[in-house]
Amino acid sequence: MKIKAQVCMVMNLDKCIGCHTCSITCKNVWTNREGAEYMYFNNVETRPGVGYPRGWEDQEKWKGGWEVDGGELKLRTGSKLGRILKLFYHPEQPELKDYYEPWTYDYETLITSPRRKHQPVARPRSLITQKRMTIKWGPNWDDDLAGGDSARADVNFKNIGQEIALEFQDIFMKYLPRNCNHCLNPACVAACPSGAIYKREEDGVVLVSQDICRGWRHCIPSCPYKKVFYNWKTNKAEKCTFCYPRLENGLPTVCTDTCVGRIRYLGILLYDMDPVENVAKTADPKNIYAGLLDVIKDPNDPAVLESARSEGVSDAVINAAKVSPVYQIIKNWHLALPLHPEFRTLPMVWYVPPLSPIAKRFEDKVYLPDSEEMRIPIKYLAEIFTAGDSQIISRTLKRLLDMRTVMRCKEVGETPPRDLEFDAYEYEKMYKLLGIAKYSERIKLPAGRQGKTHEQLRELQGSAGYICPGGCC
Amino acid sequence: MSGFFWGALPYIAIAIMVVGTVYRYQTGERGWTTKSSQFLAKGSLKIAGPMFHLGLFMALGGHVIGVLIPKFVTDGAGIDEHLYHIIALGGGIPAGILFFLGFFLLMQRRFGNPKMQVNTSTMDGVIYAVLFLTIVTGFGGTLLNAVGLLGDDFNYRETISPWFRSILMLSPDISLMENVPLIFKAHMIMWMITAILFPFTRLVHCLSFPFEYFSRRPIIYRRS
Repeated sequence: MKIKAQVCMVMNLDKCIGCHTCSITCKNVWTNREGAEYMYFNNVETRPGVGYPRGWEDQEKWKGGWEVDGGELKLRTGSKLGRILKLFYHPEQPELKDYYEPWTYDYETLITSPRRKHQPVARPRSLITQKRMTIKWGPNWDDDLAGGDSARADVNFKNIGQEIALEFQDIFMKYLPRNCNHCLNPACVAACPSGAIYKREEDGVVLVSQDICRGWRHCIPSCPYKKVFYNWKTNKAEKCTFCYPRLENGLPTVCTDTCVGRIRYLGILLYDMDPVENVAKTADPKNIYAGLLDVIKDPNDPAVLESARSEGVSDAVINAAKVSPVYQIIKNWHLALPLHPEFRTLPMVWYVPPLSPIAKRFEDKVYLPDSEEMRIPIKYLAEIFTAGDSQIISRTLKRLLDMRTVMRCKEVGETPPRDLEFDAYEYEKMYKLLGIAKYSERIKLPAGRQGKTHEQLRELQGSAGYICPGGCC
Repeated sequence: MSGFFWGALPYIAIAIMVVGTVYRYQTGERGWTTKSSQFLAKGSLKIAGPMFHLGLFMALGGHVIGVLIPKFVTDGAGIDEHLYHIIALGGGIPAGILFFLGFFLLMQRRFGNPKMQVNTSTMDGVIYAVLFLTIVTGFGGTLLNAVGLLGDDFNYRETISPWFRSILMLSPDISLMENVPLIFKAHMIMWMITAILFPFTRLVHCLSFPFEYFSRRPIIYRRS
């Protein structure tokens, strides 16, 4: 046993209202620079849809993530030598147009235009070339199923086939906020020829060293979530940092902090490093979820704590792990699921699948729906969260519905049903954490370990960043 | 004057290249990249990129054979002048064509697409011009020499190559360069200019090769 600590996030999709506040605050902090205009370290997608960049889940196209070949774990994008040979042209590399071309408007003309018959118009201008452009696609172009074509192009329908008809009366949608998953088996790290990307030992945050990066760009197709980006100005790779300067000071990430729906939970998990590789190469991708749960260890088990201490995990981190809200949701209640476990990167951002309104065809018959009677098809959720295993989705949704039933019974004074998995007290705890938890209950991070005063931190402002000192050649 | 060009400038150029590169690595590693532009526009890169670089590697190999290996070694190996030229031109002409065509397509892509402007600095423009002149003088000189337009008695393996080796041996013999045709002299000046500019351009990317990658573990853990 080799225990390490991992900062982990759970998103309760049941509460996501798709407001994009997380994307905007993240953008204002991290990617409001030249070269990074098109980047969203955090974005919110409407599903079904193609997402950002378009069709990111289609690994036939991008070759992201890992595959098992003859019992061995291999990057889907090819062997080391094979990839180095893509030196002068890399066929799986995404282009700017796969994301969108960022733009602004000529707002000046609104003020400076002379008196004319018609109102002046602020025309769009590319933020890349500074020239006039025609807008063809943008971030969240297909927000709330806008257009409709993009919903049909959702990659997850490929394996479900004709069973889900996107007829108007059956239409469904949900939001999917995404940032870097800070995976336990990150493909981007393994793909980097320069060794610039690494996983931090103390908190599992995956970072790109801007000095060591040489712009090979192998991380970008390799990340199956397309959450490593290429800065066209500095010509280096950038990605979500889990706001590590904030984590180091005991503060949550910006997206967590500003989440309007309060869907994000942040805490520490203790996991065993040794079996990680074996879990990643589980033969049947449907079993990866179970393996991943096994890797996460009980923070109250003395053997786990002993190993953690010998690996240098500090007491502050261990104490945070003991009260971790994410451990509660993931391990105790089995309510959270990893995004596309079949990519085999073992993501550490988890999702509580959303409940949805009663499907049209059951509307007349049902008052409190079962998981099969809701609008979002279980098969669709299964494609996204369990590599196609509908049973796990049903079970998870059932628990959420049971929680609602128990709370309803309590409210109206009925006796709750007898065949429940947990006792009423446990459901109440579940409700409190998922439904009404305060900031301090949703976020349990170890206190700052940097030991710097605010004055000292202020002095450091502007001394670090993405731009190369002295300009770029 | 010829003392400066053939006795001093080569050392100045090599010194600037080495010291400048080390200095840039030490102070500006964050700017050390290929400046890949595939992200902005793939365009003809699929064909042109590999074509240009393959031509470059072939030309590099040709230079190693033609410049660094003394004539008496190949003579001793039983390769006479005629056979040598067949080998040299057999490799050199395809290399030159790949090199030229690749360069032309890359330049067309770079200067024909407005998006590429944001990836093209003034220094890039300068180094492309210098590289172009280096290629033209080298390839042109070789072709002219092959068809005999530079005079029958000129042989670069008896003049330029020993001169270059004398530079490397730290005892420059400038008399060897006296009767070299102008086009080859220009080629010499061009490589020296390329060497001087090298540390301050995107060309530094050719020094980055991930040797460690082949032996390292896939996942890297580091302490902050």
